[in-house]
Formats: sequence, C-alpha cells, structure tokens
Amino acid sequence: MDIGYYPGCTLHASSSLYDVQSRRIFNEVGINLKEIEDWNCCGATSAGKVDDFLAVAMPARNIGIAEADGFSEIVIPCSACYSRTLVVQKRLEDDPLLKNQINTELAKKIQGTIKVSSILEVLLTTVASGELAEKVSQKLKGLKPACYYGCMQTRFPYKVPVPDDVENPQGMETVLKVLGAQSLDWNYKTDCCGASAAVNDEEAALNLMTRIMKDAVARGANCFVVTCPMCQLNMDSYQDKICQKHEIKERLPVYFITEMVGLAMGVSVEELQIDRHFVDGSELLKELNII
Amino acid sequence: MTESAREFDPETAHPMVKEVMERSQQNLLACYQCRRCAAGCPVGEETGYITPDRLIRMIILGDRENALNNQLVWRCVSCYTCGTRCPNDIQTARITDTIKKIAKEAHLDPLKPKVAHFHDTFVNSGIRWGRLNEMEFMSFFELKNTLKDLKRMKFKAIYDELMSKTKLGLRMARRKRMHMGFQSAKGRGEIKRLYKKTKKKTV
Repeated sequence: MDIGYYPGCTLHASSSLYDVQSRRIFNEVGINLKEIEDWNCCGATSAGKVDDFLAVAMPARNIGIAEADGFSEIVIPCSACYSRTLVVQKRLEDDPLLKNQINTELAKKIQGTIKVSSILEVLLTTVASGELAEKVSQKLKGLKPACYYGCMQTRFPYKVPVPDDVENPQGMETVLKVLGAQSLDWNYKTDCCGASAAVNDEEAALNLMTRIMKDAVARGANCFVVTCPMCQLNMDSYQDKICQKHEIKERLPVYFITEMVGLAMGVSVEELQIDRHFVDGSELLKELNII
Repeated sequence: MTESAREFDPETAHPMVKEVMERSQQNLLACYQCRRCAAGCPVGEETGYITPDRLIRMIILGDRENALNNQLVWRCVSCYTCGTRCPNDIQTARITDTIKKIAKEAHLDPLKPKVAHFHDTFVNSGIRWGRLNEMEFMSFFELKNTLKDLKRMKFKAIYDELMSKTKLGLRMARRKRMHMGFQSAKGRGEIKRLYKKTKKKTV
C-alpha cells in the first residue's frame, strides 16, 4: 500500500535517522512511504508568531501537493509538522474564502479531503490488523520506557479531532506492548521540553527538561521513547548538561518509536542509525540482550 | 504592576481588547479567571507573576504597556497546555503570538530579543529556499544576536554564546547530526507571491 509521506526539513537534516527508520519499518509491514513532490517547510510554531497568513499558506501548499499526487492519506512523523498541517487543514475547511485565496497561486489546488496522520496513527493501524505483531522477531524484554509525547501530538492551537487521550495518551504504550516492552506510568509524558527555547531561552528550556528527566528517573525508567524529533534532540543532546547540574547519575537513551519497532523486527542498530544518539543507545540494548 | 480595574478606561481598553480578539480569534471576555491555565503553565516559574489569566486581564483592562512587554509573551513555549485545559477554550498561546506581532508593528524592543530573532530568522529561511537549512538558519540567528550584543558592548555574552554553540556544534558533528547539505523547494515562489499579495491588501 502506498501512503503519502511528508518528512519535513528536520528529517532531511539533523534527524535524517528518523526518515531512514520510518521508511524501513513501514516497508516491513507492506506500507510504502511515498514522499510528496517538492514539499516546503511547514513554518513550525515560528510562522504563527511572525505572520498569520504565512502560518496557513506554508502547510497549505503541501496539502495541495499531496492531494494532487493522488493520496488519500499523508503521514507526518515530525510532531510539529503534523500539528501545523492538521491545524491548517481544519482552518481551511472552516474558512473556504481563505482556501480560495490561497488556491489562486497554487499549481496544485487544495481540496481539503486528505487524511493527515501522525506516525502513531499509522502504526496503530498495523497493531489493530495484527501485521505488526507478525513481524516482531525480537521481543524488547527488560526495556522500561517512559513514553514521552511532548506537546504537539495531543495539544493543538485550533479545534481539531485528537486521535488519542489529550492528557494521558496511550498510542506509544499500545505499540510498545506489541513489541514486548512494558511502559511506565509517569507524570511528564505530555510536558514541554522547551523546543526552540533550548536555543533562544536556554534557562527556561533546561528547567523544563530537568523536571522531565527527574520524574522519568524516579519512576525507574531506563529509556525515553519519543515521536518528535525536537523532543529527541533536546532530551538527548542536553541530558548530560542537566544531569551534571542536578547530580543525576542515570542517563536514559532517547529512542524514536521507529527505533523500537525496527529493533523488534530484527533490524540492526547500524541500519537504524542508533549510533547517532548523544546518550549511547546501544549499551542498554546489549545489557538486555536485545542486540 | 498591572493597572487596577478601578482605573479602567473604556476609551483605551476597548480598542486593545478588540484588536487582540480579532487577530487571535480568541474570546478573551469569556475568561472568568479560574486560573487552570496558570496551574498548568510550564514556564509559570520563569514569567514572574504573569500567567495566561493575568495577561488576559491586562488586555481587557487596556493596560497596553504591560500587555505588550512582559515575560509571558516572550517566554511562552507554545505548548498549548493553557488552551487545552481552559474551560472556555481560550488558547492563550495564540494571544501571546498576536501580542508579539502587535509589539513588532509598534517597533517595541522585544523583552527577549533572541526569541524574536529566532522566529523571524526561522521563517525567513523557510521562505527564502522553501525548506529550512539548519546551518544557514543558525548562522543568521547567531549573527543577529552577536550584532545586537556588540552594539550593547556585551562581550562576555558574545563569548559565552560562541563557546556554547561551538560545543553543541562539535557534538552534533561527531554524531553526524550536523547537516551540511542544501535543500530547497522549487515551487517556493507560490508562497512568496501569496505573501506579497496579502501584504499589499493590508497596507
């Protein structure tokens, strides 16, 4: 089955490992991720702070392209891109005048009927159909993941249908259960890591990350599992800094959900590029005899 | 401190709240100060006494000066917790977004210049090539900050920033997380043209 795929800028740059992993694992369950043609930056949360029109126009063009390419569904692994695209689709549905205005300049016009899915939604369909379980060759026994959703998976600045529980989402837990890992209950699964504040307001961001780290450690987690490349980069690259400052001995690898699925399918660490993490991701897997 | 309701002047208050409501598309008047937003705000500890409910109150009272220039507007991380929990569906992140734009149009110096630079540079880079090039974007962003600090003779700040960003850069490079390639979207002109059109209309 072919499905539209919007990687977004980050998956073509600093988090290209997430792109590699996504394509690889979906291929395994018979889903072919077809990258939409000539997509553009979604504007992330920045566009809304600079210009209201751009914040709509940027993701809108991508929706038009995906629809013109003939897809009925598009999957967007990056949480920020997913959130922006989903919100804009709903805004254009509610505001046909704005949609027409944007369509005047677009080579590929927006209909607005495509289904915008997060990576979890697509993974969960493979859980429901049993296809994912069939492909699991290596149970992830001993992993105690703190599933970290961050902001953009369940909270939106506009009324859109949210596919999971807003305050206590269970999508990642459901997927991990099929892979043989028992996720932990914890308090900070939908808290903010600070996102771009790590670069432009470091003090605020480090305080947020510290709270997340402390709770995960207190609950006995031995790793984080995430869907958002921003959460991954922040929790991974700043972990040493916050742990040194607050005298936390533990270091928790920050895995993408796609890495978990890949490992359970028997895909190698090298192929999944887990060696590109800041906090070593292989050590724990070896300790638990997963690799 | 914020102005008291006893000093409420409808002449100044109405235009302010009207503008913010129209642009943010949020019904600020529905706020009954239950402070669920304040309880959930992750940066509440960084913003002094200003929480989403306080900001809404300032705007309703027409306290323009404080509403346009406070820690919450510039330190809000757009996590959308306040709006998700608000019993009246007021999304304060869209209010802080709106205030940032109003403050810029009024040529006010942002309380957190780095935050303002970040978002401006991000969008400019995204529009310029159609896709964001992380290295180009970060270079422009750091350059802007350095120039600002140079003007104010903040040499220590420049040194600290350079050191911390170089360290991060090296660590990223070691893990092949630094992207040196270039990416762009051929059809980026479509968005640029649309943007120009809307600018003409509003001016």
